[in-house]
Amino acid sequence: MQLTSLGLVRGIIGYFVGLVVGMAVVMISRLALGMSAWDQEAGWVGGIIFATIGFMLAVGSMTDWLKWTRGVETPFHHGPPVGKPAWTRYFSVDYNHKVIGIQYGVTGFLLLLIGGSFALVFRAELADSGISFLQPGTYNTFLSMHAWVALASILLGVGGMANYLVPLMIGAEDMAFPRLNAFAYWINVPAIITLMISMLFGWDSGWTAYPPLSLRGPVGYQMVFWAIFSIGLSSILGSLNLIVTMLTMRPKGMTLFRMPIFCWAILATSIIQLTATQLIGLAFLMLSFERTLGMPFFNPLYNALGENIGGQPLLFQHLFWFYSHPAVYVFVLPGLGIISELLPVFARKPLFGYRWIALSSLAIALVGFLVWGHHMFTSGYGEYLRVVFMISTLLVAVPTGVKFFSWLGTLWGGRLTFPTPMLFTLGAISVFLIGGLSGPILATAATDLFLHDSYFVVGHFHATIFGGFVFPFFAAIYYWYPKITGRMYNEMLGKIHFWLMTPGFWVMSLAQMTAGTMGMRRRIADYDPALGVEPVHMLITIAGFVIAFSILLMIYNLFTSAEVGALAGNNPWRSRSPEWQIPSPVPEHSYAQPIAVVGEPYDYGLAGSTYVAMAGAGDD
Amino acid sequence: MLKLPQSSTDRKHFVIVGALVFVATIALGFFLLAILPVKAQYSVQAEPIRWLFQLHVWLIAFLFALVVVFMLYALIVFRKRKDDDSEGEHFEGNTTLEVVWTVIPLILVIIFSFIGFQTLRDATRGGDEVQVEAVGFQWAWTFNYPNGVVSQEMVLPVNKPALISLRATDVIHSFWVVEWGPKQDLVPGMTTRMHITPTKVGEFKVRCAELCGLSHWSMVATVRVVPEEEYIAWMNQKLVEQNIQTASR
Repeated sequence: MQLTSLGLVRGIIGYFVGLVVGMAVVMISRLALGMSAWDQEAGWVGGIIFATIGFMLAVGSMTDWLKWTRGVETPFHHGPPVGKPAWTRYFSVDYNHKVIGIQYGVTGFLLLLIGGSFALVFRAELADSGISFLQPGTYNTFLSMHAWVALASILLGVGGMANYLVPLMIGAEDMAFPRLNAFAYWINVPAIITLMISMLFGWDSGWTAYPPLSLRGPVGYQMVFWAIFSIGLSSILGSLNLIVTMLTMRPKGMTLFRMPIFCWAILATSIIQLTATQLIGLAFLMLSFERTLGMPFFNPLYNALGENIGGQPLLFQHLFWFYSHPAVYVFVLPGLGIISELLPVFARKPLFGYRWIALSSLAIALVGFLVWGHHMFTSGYGEYLRVVFMISTLLVAVPTGVKFFSWLGTLWGGRLTFPTPMLFTLGAISVFLIGGLSGPILATAATDLFLHDSYFVVGHFHATIFGGFVFPFFAAIYYWYPKITGRMYNEMLGKIHFWLMTPGFWVMSLAQMTAGTMGMRRRIADYDPALGVEPVHMLITIAGFVIAFSILLMIYNLFTSAEVGALAGNNPWRSRSPEWQIPSPVPEHSYAQPIAVVGEPYDYGLAGSTYVAMAGAGDD
Repeated sequence: MLKLPQSSTDRKHFVIVGALVFVATIALGFFLLAILPVKAQYSVQAEPIRWLFQLHVWLIAFLFALVVVFMLYALIVFRKRKDDDSEGEHFEGNTTLEVVWTVIPLILVIIFSFIGFQTLRDATRGGDEVQVEAVGFQWAWTFNYPNGVVSQEMVLPVNKPALISLRATDVIHSFWVVEWGPKQDLVPGMTTRMHITPTKVGEFKVRCAELCGLSHWSMVATVRVVPEEEYIAWMNQKLVEQNIQTASR
């Protein structure tokens, strides 16, 4: 087998060919206009745009569409590529949603490891005061990269869960637009390469990239802007696909309020992604244009009379947070959906208040659009705006509270068992509770004026993201692992993972908040020991490394269990959901016959009830 | 040994959980106050911030205790016993309960919005008996007084309401003296303001709280709060040093 038969390898070659071509096009154009050939801003922007296109062409994600323009038919190929080993399909363009889901999930997991490692690097530096091995410039780059790599990993992780699970859960053959689905995944890969290249040049604004700082720094910024633009494009296309899939491909009998609850979470998430992502894409392109072409959007410029004829820095913050706040709900709503999905299975009880949980996801999504200004309490915008955004932000507590209380109602009176996925689900609730309850302190503007840009915010944010994404993501991996691989993971290792990671995270989170109230600022390469935060930092660093070690155990577990794990059978968790009624691993065509929904999804304990009628499918 | 009722809706469960939530709230409240020492304490504006923070802590302690105690209680009492293969009790929800736990948080939100509004007003208002302009740039501070005095450290008289005007010349910075409480960004192209009435004599640091590039971490200047006589003496000395005519004030 030739290496270039792998789409990924061809794509990477295409990327670098495109990079050279793009730079050459820019240089020739500049020469033709009588300018000096090389300008690193313009050169790199041209290079990155062509590199991204080069990757997408070479990987084959646009091949079918290009054939259509020539009137060529492109029959759908199912199954592994002909004449190649089965594993190669994961490294090439494949239209099966289960393959794409795994591609998303594994890429997301890898990015989580990379982003987490960046954090470990600067946590080691921060363990004591004084600059030991990480110089401030490098520190800033690591810190900024940690954020965007981790955020990209979450977006891909969410994409992984949604792509793998949604079609299975609604009994659909595939996503509505399989080719678009593949395109939406693959556009992330050149974006990630671009993001990694930015490290060679450095950038130092943190993920927020506030101008004017982001207009002044090294050329690494350009790569970040365009990488995030591409990842945003993936979000938009992917969410469009998911919405259409859920709205049009449900089986007979599955009304919206009979969908598995995870689908509701993805529906709410997709609405946000489809409508808000444009704002950050736009904001980052404006930054790029201002750097490359001198368009005065954000940086103030003065004429001889001292009047500002340039831009307004705060405009960027509005655009940025108009996406980036709702984005937080993109990160956590799917995870909260996983919690709601798993609790009934391990409580052997109906989901308490299904409609309330379903609608609370939508409510969080909608209120989420109205709160962006709480990131700007100290920014110097109109003072009355602080009150408006304080009230809208506090409102988020209401639908979130509905979820928590409904989860308790689900547990109450159950027959609870505690395998690893359930442990991570309960851990998620505890951690998300820390994140959620520390929120109102930051929502009431007065306390935020003190805590803004302090470690308290770091603690709050990581608790919401770990509780809302990382813990549920791990719960989901352990839970669906038998469905994906056909084998069980190692329960003992799973439990050790949980009992290391969860207390580790509680300690890390609370210690970060402690440091914040003591006056520790965010994003600083070194701190003043006079604040008394040194022991707190040591604690955070130790806890961080414990969490990292526990994740290594998980990786070991997932790798070895795929070979030696006990055979799982169709339905090890005795779930009612359709994907558990078919063989594990799921066959190429998930459902041999269309399924029909004949009952409620979570009627555990109701004698004689079923959720789906399989119509002859899924006999082993 | 306490004999627990079989039915999950038995009142006995809720009495026990209620008592545990009460105990846990008290314990957790004091624990959180101990590990979250709000260091904002030496200005008039810091007082409402500390007060509101502590109010939050007690509400958080209660809500955290409520959810976690209910959860842990359920995990223990409703765990599956060894030889029990039955399913859980079948109830799909309770609209009254859902309405209750929607409406009560909503009321809390309204109350906190009102308290938050008042606290914000108290934490941001003050007089302008002393005025000083703080200019932030990569990566240092300069302080300009209305009489023309320019200083590398900020000196303020204690217990006098001060109005600090904030200006950035390059990128966004943020003015934060931890012990005073509130912070305020400095944005190129506009002047922002904050009111501070320092209440304690001493030497503090103003640290930049908005990532502003390479040496952001070390963008620090000294802030001295001194008795009024000392402030006047310092100002006079500066006027002489910098050769400024007092008449030009």
